Amino acid sequence: MHRAAGPQQALSQASQAPAASPTGSPVRVGFGLRVPHYDVILQRGVRADFAEAVSENFMGRGGRARSVLERVRGDMPVALHGVSLSIGGVDPLHEAYLAELSELATRIDALSVSDHLCFGTFGGHYAHDLWPLPYTEEALDHVVQRVVQVQERLGRRLLLENVSSYVEYRASTLDEWEFLSELVTRADAGILLDVNNVFVSAKNHGFSALEYLRGLPRERVQQIHLAGHSDGGGFLLDDHGSPVAEPVWQLYEQAIECFGAVPTIIEWDERLPELDELELEAERARTRASTRLAANAAVAR
Amino acid sequence: MKLAELQRYFARAATTGSGPLAGLEQVFLGTKSLPASARLAIYNRGYFYRLLDALASVFGETKRVLGQAEFERIGLAYLAEHPSEHAALERIGRGFADQLRTVRGVPDAVADLAALEWARLCVLVAPDPHTVATAHGIEPVGFPSSRLRFVAALRWLELDPWALSAFAGADRTLSHPRTRQGVVVWRAGHLVRHEALEALEFQALGSAANGASMSEVCAVFDSGAATEDAQRAFRVVAGWFSRQWVEALH
Repeated sequence: MHRAAGPQQALSQASQAPAASPTGSPVRVGFGLRVPHYDVILQRGVRADFAEAVSENFMGRGGRARSVLERVRGDMPVALHGVSLSIGGVDPLHEAYLAELSELATRIDALSVSDHLCFGTFGGHYAHDLWPLPYTEEALDHVVQRVVQVQERLGRRLLLENVSSYVEYRASTLDEWEFLSELVTRADAGILLDVNNVFVSAKNHGFSALEYLRGLPRERVQQIHLAGHSDGGGFLLDDHGSPVAEPVWQLYEQAIECFGAVPTIIEWDERLPELDELELEAERARTRASTRLAANAAVAR
Repeated sequence: MKLAELQRYFARAATTGSGPLAGLEQVFLGTKSLPASARLAIYNRGYFYRLLDALASVFGETKRVLGQAEFERIGLAYLAEHPSEHAALERIGRGFADQLRTVRGVPDAVADLAALEWARLCVLVAPDPHTVATAHGIEPVGFPSSRLRFVAALRWLELDPWALSAFAGADRTLSHPRTRQGVVVWRAGHLVRHEALEALEFQALGSAANGASMSEVCAVFDSGAATEDAQRAFRVVAGWFSRQWVEALH
């Protein structure tokens, strides 16, 4: 039976930084584990500072998925990243889901547990999508209460990721970054900043990506996601199906400047390349971040 | 609109198969180049095609047999009637084989193929057993009254034999339904395997899974030839242990 922890205890069990990079770089990098890579991973492991596992792909599972997770966890910390918590949903949180997530997080001593700032359930069903929330005071109160509930259930801090979106509600009274900032502050949660999502949503809704970054509380940004997107014809589609685009790398450098050497994960889901290529993409993140940090340090001197 | 109402409205827009809702522009922001209805349509397409992809990834052979267009037509109808009830995406296929049995023109054997693929998925993702029982630890005195608990990564089902050959890619002409055959699906290491069982073994397995004692399970093999029957029962049950189907004997 997992014992719930209060907010202060949750703070002390906040996501840890992954162990120092073997390269000596201040920036820790990794990528998401994906099924087509499982056989290679079982053979030779992964080359990264830490890895990310989609929680639902490992909760309550045995066989190859469990072996992969154990193999990777034997070599490095693993962050858990969920897609079905529906933290903003109005359906009750699923106790069975939380119990399985808690068991998994405990079993692998997860580096962090994260999910998305969105809703993905309706009438007791799962959408398997990340639907945007209206950014209202009512929604804020609702999500704060649910984040606190989840953190108490898990006994650790939850990281919340900004989603990419294609539509906004007329009812919204707050900007997304204001909503996210207020949420994590009031609930004592962390931010998983998806830089690609900021870029995509900024283009789709016409706001400033830089203003978004500058509006976030620095100390709450604990992980970063990077991914590819595509042109959907009049909008940008967050499809995780290509290398990180150059403008997103530039925004990432800005994020590193704002938030420091935040551990960074590459996500890739569609048109998945070989594992080697994914590892190279993670190294590119390290290089971009390290170069930016070094340049800033030189200016400061 | 309150949060709950907004979410219901969004969910309807994103999951309805009957086109855009009235009044979308009053609830959502749009632009001249991309009005709210077009923006919601991105979610609507994403919803159905993500789930359809998930179905296709589980029912690959069924899709091959039905053909892309028919699979998509049946799949979309299924998804509209059966929204997901599980946090894991691939579980969306839980009722797909049963749905196929109700579709006019789809032979039962094709639904059997889908049932086989579903069983293989369930076995693939089943949790590991806490322990695996071996035949060595069996107490002879208590054996007749003991009962077996099987590992989670084991399924058994009855199928038209055509489904097995179709899964193997050896499609024969599907003429008329044939006598159904007991099939067991299990995980060996990381690999999912399936195999047709003799009728008596299938009956014994079902009996054991339903909580029958070992003496009742062995009685399935009773043909009046005591020695041969006992040897046969022993071989079958020993095979269950050696293939690591038994989690515990209690």
